[in-house]
Amino acid sequence: MKPLDPRLLEQARAARRYVVLTTGLGVATTALLVVQALLLARIIADVAMDGESFADVQNQVVWLGIVLAVRAVLTGAQERFGHRAATAVVRQLRERLLEHATRELGPGRKPAPPSSAGKNGAQMALLATRGLDALDGYLTRYLPQLLLTATLTPAILVVIWWEDWIAGLTVLLTLPLIPFFMALIGMASQDQADRSLNSLQRLGTHVLDLIAGLPTLRAIGTAGAQARMVRSAGDAHRRATMKTLRTAFLSALALEILVTLSVALVAVGIGLRLVHGSLDLHTGLAVLLLAPEVYAPLRAVGTHFHASQDGLAAAQQAFDVLEQPVPARGTRSAPDLARTELSFEDVSVQHEGVPTATPDGLTATVRPGEIVALTGPSGCGKTSAVAVLLGLREPTTGEIGLAPAGMPAFALADVDPQSWWAQIAWCPQHPVLVPGTLRENVTLLRPSATDAEIAEAAKVTGFEDVVRTVPGEWHSRVGQGGTGLSAGQRQRLALTRLLLSEAQLIVLDEPTAHLDAGSEQAVLALLAELRRRGRTVVMVAHRPALVAAADRTIDLAGVPSGLKTEAPGLETGSQMGVPA
Amino acid sequence: MKALIVVLRTMRPHPWRLLLGAFTGAAAVGAAIALLGVSGWLITRAAQQPPVLFLMVAIVGVRAFGIGRGVLRYSERLISHDVALRGVVRLRETLFARLATADDTVAAGLKRGDLLARLGADADELGDVIVRGILPFITAVITGAASVVALWLILPEAGLVLAAATLVGLIAVPVLAGTGGRRDVVGTARARSEMSENVLALLDSLPELTVAGRTGERMAAIARSDDKLSRGLDRAARPAAWAAGLGSAVMSAAVLGCLMVGVHAVAAGEIREVWLAVLAFVPLALAEVIEALPAASVSLVRAAEAARRVAPLLETGADQPYVLQARPVPNSAYLGGKSLRLVRDLPGLHLRAQNLSAGWPGREPAVRGLDLDLTAGRRIAIVGPSGQGKSTLLRTLGGLLPPAGGRMMMDATDVGDGIDLVDVHTRSLRRQVHLTADDAHVFGTTVRENLRVAAKDASDEELLTALERAGLGTWIADLSEGDTKGLDVVVGDPAGPGQGAGTHLLSGGLRRRLLLARAFASGAPVLLVDEPAEHLDPSTADDLVAEVLAAPDPGRTAVVVTHRLTPLALADEVLVIDGGVVAARGTHDQLIAGYPPYRSAWAAERCETPVSS
Repeated sequence: MKPLDPRLLEQARAARRYVVLTTGLGVATTALLVVQALLLARIIADVAMDGESFADVQNQVVWLGIVLAVRAVLTGAQERFGHRAATAVVRQLRERLLEHATRELGPGRKPAPPSSAGKNGAQMALLATRGLDALDGYLTRYLPQLLLTATLTPAILVVIWWEDWIAGLTVLLTLPLIPFFMALIGMASQDQADRSLNSLQRLGTHVLDLIAGLPTLRAIGTAGAQARMVRSAGDAHRRATMKTLRTAFLSALALEILVTLSVALVAVGIGLRLVHGSLDLHTGLAVLLLAPEVYAPLRAVGTHFHASQDGLAAAQQAFDVLEQPVPARGTRSAPDLARTELSFEDVSVQHEGVPTATPDGLTATVRPGEIVALTGPSGCGKTSAVAVLLGLREPTTGEIGLAPAGMPAFALADVDPQSWWAQIAWCPQHPVLVPGTLRENVTLLRPSATDAEIAEAAKVTGFEDVVRTVPGEWHSRVGQGGTGLSAGQRQRLALTRLLLSEAQLIVLDEPTAHLDAGSEQAVLALLAELRRRGRTVVMVAHRPALVAAADRTIDLAGVPSGLKTEAPGLETGSQMGVPA
Repeated sequence: MKALIVVLRTMRPHPWRLLLGAFTGAAAVGAAIALLGVSGWLITRAAQQPPVLFLMVAIVGVRAFGIGRGVLRYSERLISHDVALRGVVRLRETLFARLATADDTVAAGLKRGDLLARLGADADELGDVIVRGILPFITAVITGAASVVALWLILPEAGLVLAAATLVGLIAVPVLAGTGGRRDVVGTARARSEMSENVLALLDSLPELTVAGRTGERMAAIARSDDKLSRGLDRAARPAAWAAGLGSAVMSAAVLGCLMVGVHAVAAGEIREVWLAVLAFVPLALAEVIEALPAASVSLVRAAEAARRVAPLLETGADQPYVLQARPVPNSAYLGGKSLRLVRDLPGLHLRAQNLSAGWPGREPAVRGLDLDLTAGRRIAIVGPSGQGKSTLLRTLGGLLPPAGGRMMMDATDVGDGIDLVDVHTRSLRRQVHLTADDAHVFGTTVRENLRVAAKDASDEELLTALERAGLGTWIADLSEGDTKGLDVVVGDPAGPGQGAGTHLLSGGLRRRLLLARAFASGAPVLLVDEPAEHLDPSTADDLVAEVLAAPDPGRTAVVVTHRLTPLALADEVLVIDGGVVAARGTHDQLIAGYPPYRSAWAAERCETPVSS
């Protein structure tokens, strides 16, 4: 990892104003530091050597007071505006990262890896939030210091040289040792910071998984024992961090000793020449105060570089994600689905690690206004078939064909996904709850729905009864993970969503999963309503009542090329009948 | 602050290590101050051109302080970071353990984003406070006091000046930084948590939101959280700026003041000239210490805020009415001195519900007035419309929820009769009664570990038998992923967080079967299974329900909540829950004959053969 990532500098352009401001303040502060050192040296030398009284040095004391006051103001200003650069860059990077993730989905999406650079949702979330926040140290401290080093180190060196060229030469000779050491040590610790971030993310995923499973562990009564897993993950993280820190701090130690020795070298020279009377006290004190300041920006770069390693590692990962090519998208606008026949044309999806494709060579058609049920035993590829139809993933072989009435047919891959999705309403197995009110959630697919429409739809799906039991009714808030809603209630919310949507193609994945035989009627009513409105419905269905409500069944277990599912023991579904 | 103390107590930073950290830190800073002071003395003395021998002690001192500063600083950083990281790990573990044993409602009331924030960022913040908050203050107090004493010995007036400045620096500066920053830090924390939640909501359901065309709107929500965050950070920077300015100003005043009294004293002949540089340089070096305090103070505020969120979780379990761990194990009193914990099987374990009402604490009971005898080996099915509290009832039967009314008891041979489940030690009870919830979790780990969650010591053979019985015999035999095979394959729930490369994602049906295998592997004499047939095609679903109801071991009791009626012929009794009461009960055949809603639902289920296209 380079100390300066050009890609990051490009991002930092968003915050150039603040980087310049911070650096400017730094330059001014250091200039005052030089003046302060010279004044202090002058006053002390005049009084201690030349026996001057307070009245003689009064002017210098007043100047010193002014310099110190201005420095205090600049210090405050630095604190006031320094953070803005980082805030702007982190924000921009986060936005681009998430936007990239949203653009990755599409008909051209390869089945694997599951997401950008092999990251799952939790890892991406960690990177986009805490990971990027670590950039703060890089942008507010490291980058300005780097700019200061380039400008101030030579400037102070010139002042020392002007005061005493021998001391100046000593400093000039020792100075290159520091970047040399820094580079050496930086290289060693970069690898470890990489590992540390990886370990942090693994810990995040691991702990998140344990937390998600907490109710299960509680039910089994072994949750307490799993706390050990949290500890072992944490201990691993601690060891990884301490390893990084040992190197990082060791390099700080080496730098510090190097600087001390260099300053000592200067000081010994001054001392000897003072004793011999070839140097006056003013120069000696001034050089003594200034010599450490030459090394200070360099040292700060070193310190902050290590502190900003995590941020840099996160930035690296973010750029890795951003540089993943986004699948090319079709440009044709989707035909009107109310007048278009859809077809699975020999669609197969090969899953990693599974010998056979599921579905394997699926061929079937869906006509506008039809209700079609996808059936078959679990693991036979119903969900994958739906993902291909939705244009969320690319089939390994085959394609989805679109045949608009009176027009030549073409493939879904050529269609602009936005125009395709605009005509689709989809209810997956685990429907989303966005942070917000119940009303916001139920109108997710059509925010313009009126209260009357909502009430009517909720009546059909029975969600009305659920809302009535919730305090605050439609305005009660729900959050991540569905606080306060059971799986079945959530499912009903999702069904209500579908009913409010104006999309032509409705895709349901196991819509009655949480409903029992008694309330299946609600779903059947929903289907009847959708049929009345002339919508096309493709549903993954298990229940006979639902299958019976469909106009046609596509049985994935009976696909001609001979299904060998991932669980051959589950092929009981084949007795459900073989399609023509 | 009170919360912070509670949390810090949980983290139990090792007192000797903490003290060692504080003293090495103070020594490091002291060395830096001494270095500058002695150097000033040395140079001034040298300018008086004494014999070099006179300077020897000072020269040695400069060297020692120079090297010592670096080495001490290095040790201090390592010690303090280690103390902090250990504290964080302990805090995470404790939090998890508390959440594991706390009231169901506490665990369910926390969103995943919140939990991530508590166990992640908040815990880190609380570790940070040891390194960046507490130690800098201790260091500043020690070195400040030492510097004041040193100057006092040289010139009492200078000591007084430095003492005044240091006091302001030690008190006013951190208080300003802390008080001003507090409200803003709260705002930032909220914005961060909101952002975290929004980011998770977007990424967790990205495909669905994409198809729904709502990613733009979610991105806008994230941008709004980001706006809030930026504003919060900006507001937080304002008082921090004042504090930094004051810190710098006050120590500058000390430099100036010491210099002035020093000049007067030298002119008046009260002190020798060589001390003048020392008087000016010591405050100059001490400034660095004081200027670090605003950051330390902000760190304390942040940590206090994090502690305020974390502490209630630590306290759950202390005063919750229904926390099993909080009730001491009454084994000796109730179980004749036998520890249930050590008992794998309770012969003749018999659960009894007497006029039982089930419901979440603080809400209306969902089901009332249930009497049920679960004699060993009995197979019961509970059916009814969704949202009627069947799952809540099952939890109450298993002792995971306290009865909302009536009693839930157990009898067991050699142990006693009529023991309330609430009084039975949690782990003992769980070993006897295994509940598979409808949303039970499959962990992102190997098949073996997923089963061993419920059966710690089970051999591979036992696990394979359990898998076989759940209909996964062939699946496990053929399962491979990368170089791993069978029980060693890492599986994952496509909806869960724990999936990475090399993970075998389970379909809904496989997931249910794996959970069932886990129940079988547990060896518990009582199985409570919620919706084993969810997400499955009818015949597979029926097979699974039948598998639970017809388990071969005659002593095993089973209660199944299901929506499939066909396999219920195997049940000894079927309970139909409707309207919060047992609407009907009897055998499958009796209900078909005597309860019309059951008959029609069953009939609907029977026209199973799907229509061919």
